[in-house]
Formats: sequence, C-alpha cells, structure tokens
Amino acid sequence: MYEANDLSLRIGSKVILDDVSIKLHPGKFTAVVGPNGAGKSSLLKIIAGEQTPSQGAVKVNGKNLRTYRSTELSMLRAVLPQQQVVQFAFSVEQVIHLGRHVHRSRRSHDERIVAEVMRLTDVYKFRHRSYPTLSGGEKQRVQLARVLAQVWDDAVHPRYVLMDEPTASLDIAQQQHIFALARQVCGRNIGVMAIVHDLNQAARFADELYFIGDGRLVASGSAREVFTRAVIQKTFRCNVNVYHDPCSGCPFIIPETFPSVNNQSILKPVIQ
Amino acid sequence: MDATVTLRRVGNSSVIPGLAILLLVAMLFSLTIGAVSIPVSEVGIILLKNLGLFKGVAIDSTHELVITTIRFPRIVMTMLIGAMLGVSGAALQGVFRNPLVEPGLIGVSGGAAAAVVVVVVFGASISLAGWTYELLIPFAAFAGGLGATFLVLKLSEQAGRTNIAVLILIGVAVNALTGALIGLSIFYADENQLRTFTFWTLGDLGGASWQKLAVAAPLILLSITVLLFFSRALNVMALGEAEAYYIGVDVERTKMLVIFFSALGVGVSVSLAGMIGFIGLVIPHLVRVLFHPDNRLVLPASVLGGALLLVLADVLARTIARPSELPIGVVTALIGAPFFVMLLLNAKSKREI
Repeated sequence: MYEANDLSLRIGSKVILDDVSIKLHPGKFTAVVGPNGAGKSSLLKIIAGEQTPSQGAVKVNGKNLRTYRSTELSMLRAVLPQQQVVQFAFSVEQVIHLGRHVHRSRRSHDERIVAEVMRLTDVYKFRHRSYPTLSGGEKQRVQLARVLAQVWDDAVHPRYVLMDEPTASLDIAQQQHIFALARQVCGRNIGVMAIVHDLNQAARFADELYFIGDGRLVASGSAREVFTRAVIQKTFRCNVNVYHDPCSGCPFIIPETFPSVNNQSILKPVIQ
Repeated sequence: MDATVTLRRVGNSSVIPGLAILLLVAMLFSLTIGAVSIPVSEVGIILLKNLGLFKGVAIDSTHELVITTIRFPRIVMTMLIGAMLGVSGAALQGVFRNPLVEPGLIGVSGGAAAAVVVVVVFGASISLAGWTYELLIPFAAFAGGLGATFLVLKLSEQAGRTNIAVLILIGVAVNALTGALIGLSIFYADENQLRTFTFWTLGDLGGASWQKLAVAAPLILLSITVLLFFSRALNVMALGEAEAYYIGVDVERTKMLVIFFSALGVGVSVSLAGMIGFIGLVIPHLVRVLFHPDNRLVLPASVLGGALLLVLADVLARTIARPSELPIGVVTALIGAPFFVMLLLNAKSKREI
C-alpha cells in the first residue's frame, strides 16, 4: 500500500497543502480531482518522492519513502508527468526502453516487456518513428508505455503508477483509451493514481476519488459516496447538477446555467 | 522515412570500428606530412620498431627522431584533445538537455585560458622556477575552467534547478569576462609573451612533448573514461530531470560528475594547446544526425570523431600555408561552421532537432 499521512507543504508563507492524507491500493484506480492551483501536482510530487513535505510522511509497502534509495523506489513506482518533451530525436522504441533503465535486466527480457507495453498502448506500429514527429496523443501513449515498462515485471510486491493529467489535451476517444488502459494495468497488482480534470471521466473510471480544494482534502471515497453536488460545490466553487447514467448507474454532472451577471455582460455590449 | 531508419539501424554496429579505422588511417597519413615527408611504409616500420618489432630493419635515424620526438607526441596530443572536446561536448549537451551547450559556452575553455594567461604574464613577474611554472599551468587551467563553470552554474540556478536560458546568457557574460581578463593580460604582456596569445585564443598543437603528455594524458584519459560511464544515465536525462529521478537516476550526482570531469579534461587540454573551438559542438551533432541520438553511441563515437576531426584539421593547418602553420582553431571553425550549418538545415527539414 502507498500511504501518505497528514501531508502539509508550505513554501514561504504560502500554504500549498494542509493536512492531506491519501491511500493508494494495488489493483485500484484512484483519481485526484480539484480546481487549478489546489495543490494536486504538489501532492503528486511529494508522493513520488521528488518533493519533501513540510510535515507528514509517505510510506510505500510499509516502509518510509525517505529510507528507499532512488533506484529501489524506481522499481516500485513510475511517474507520468504532464510535460512530454524529449530532447534529441530518440525513436519511440528507444524512449520506451529508457523506462527499463533501473532494472539492469537482460536485453531479451527488456525487449519482451517493451514489445508488450507497446502493443498494449497501441504504439507498436510506429515504434521506429522519431519521437518529436509524433502527435500529442501519440506522445502521451508512448510516455505511458515508457512508464508501464518501468513497473511491468512480474513481481510479488505491489507497484504503483502516478499520473499527472494523463489525458490533458486528448480527444474523447484517446481519453477513453488511456483510462481503460489504466484500469487494465491495475490487474497486475499495480495501484494507479491519476490527477484527472474531467470530473465525469473520474467518476466513470476511478475506484476512489479524492477531492482537493485550496490545499485541503474536501472528501474521499467511491463515486457513489462523494460525487455529490455539495462536495463539488465546496471543492470547485461551482454549482452543478448530478445525474445518473441509466445504464451503469454511474453519476455524472452538468454545470448549472451561467450566473445572470455573466449573461448580461456577454449579451449586452456596453454602449457609451 | 522507414528506409533511412533501417539504414541507421544496420549501420550502427559498424560506426565505432569504422571510425577507429578512419582515425588510424588519418593518423598514419598525418605522420607522413611535414618539413621532411616520410613515406607511410617507413612511418609504419618506425612505429612497429618502437613497439619492439622489426628490430633488425635499418631506417634513417633522422626520420626516426622526427617521428618519435616530434610528430608522434603531437599526434597523440591531437587525438587526446580532439577526443576530450568531442566527448565532453556530447556529455554536457546530454546533461543540460540542450544541443547548444559546449565546453566553451559554459566557461570551461575561457576560464582555463584566462587562468593560464594570467599565470603566464604575472607568474613571470613573481619569478617562479621553471618546473613549478610548467606544473602550475595545467593546474591553473583546471582551476580556471572549473571555477568559471561553477560560477556559470551557480548564477543560473533557480529554485535548485539550472535554468538553461539563464545559463546560456550567463555563459556569454562569463566568456566576455574571461576574454577581458585575457585582453587585460595582453596589455601588461611583453613582446615575447604577446606571441603566445594567439596560442591561447586560437589554439596551437605545436608544443607537444612526451614530458607534457606524461601529466596531461592520464588526466584526459581518466576524464574520457568517466564520461563514457554516464552514457546510459544521459539517455534517461533526455526525458527531463524530474523524469530521470523517477526512473532511478541520481540526477545531481550525474550532473556534478559530468561537469567536473569535463572541466578537468578540457581544462588540461586548454593548458596543452589553448582554446580550440567548435569540436565539442559539432561532433556530437554530427553523430546524432548521421546515426542516432542514443548516447551509448554518441559518446564513444564523439571520442573517435573528435580525435579524427582534429587530426584532419591539423593536417590542413600544417599544409595550407607551408612552411608556416595556421592556427588550429581557425581551421576547425573553417571546416566545421559550414558543415554544421548544412547538417542543421538538413535536420531542420526532417524535424529532427
């Protein structure tokens, strides 16, 4: 289990995170949602070990994160960051092979794993192409493959994949693809955490939801428990109506109509 | 697209042996050229004889002396410096994830040259004995190179990370400063010292000797070896520093060691032959564009490619204006600059930069 307890982060006098706890379970997909600037990315960086919290501690499989060497940690958790820049014209296959760096395993073993994750993420057919020539969606899938290659070995211990907005700027089909993959990945004793912008996608795919607003944990639980008008209003300061999908019973939201003030300013030009 | 990719994949395994053979050929050819021209067969025999073979063969003793005391140390030094500049360029570009970085830009060369020039001009006035002076120069070069590099790094740090845009600007400023220091020293230099300034600013491979190499060669070889060990880690760093950390690379250690050994090797190179530009920038690019950007190829190929380019440039420098010699830095820039622009245009049209 991945467990972060009472995390706080202050930079100067600014409070980024205030007493946030989160648990990731192997085999489960956890989504973190919240408005821009709520501290979601900072939370991910602390959990990933990149940033040290002002208070609180993170435990991975029962051991404090700080006691791991960075190579040991890399065998347990992989991170898919938001940006996707690769300097120099590496081929797709080379980029994915970089995910195998820490393992120092046999070449044939690495190649089998890389081929497997390339098929899974549907990048196999353009594996020889140069990374900078890919489209945004293709790049995202290549990076996902790279991240999966890092934790793909058959291992008894649970492993984790942390993703910072994996579907940002992707079309709806690509989003479905990435989320379906993330769920599939959970089946390998891997726990997945993703920062998700689209609330409906989060409700649809995640086992557990964490609502973060203003650096605080507003609510956490399954979509049925916490995906409510009150929680969303408190987290995002936005009024929404919650409905339920008649087929799956999964909740979804539609924002309420514009406040009248906005309507007026848009519709009636100011004439002086 | 696919055709070029397959061509690259097929060609990869033969890149290193191919470059090694080219280097050997260039080396032998270079040894034949000079005030007396010595046929390649004789050069070969002299080299083999000095390795303990062909003991009985009679050869011209003057020719042997020319090869063993003048040309051979020179070619060894040329190859070491070329290799060092090439590999440090490749490693620094990898660590900063920026194709514009080269030892000159981050202050290594300028800092080393400025320190040496200061020692040459002002060291004489505090009348140092001959051998301390000789010994002080490589150390001054190293200290100057490292000092300037750390100044550039420290000043371009932002919230614990190196800001590349700032780094390049600070690099320009520090280079201007080291240039001014060199200029200031020129102002106080006497006639004799003045002549050595072309040496420091444009490079000169003429001063090679086994004595100098005895100190410099181990340091350069050590630096090259250490840098080669980072090939794999540098590949991962291409993804970004945070990503490299997530994958399990000790980013700070990699950065510090690559910079330290680049400064050491390049600093020592500058103390031997002054500032030779362009090789550190152009060679890694050449390898990336011609073959592929995997640092496990780029670094060793830059070692051989850097040595090869400098040997060829030296041949040209010694032949074009015979009997006098062109400054080596002029030749490397004359060959390198147009070729580099051509490669960049080619890569730009293929969106590979």
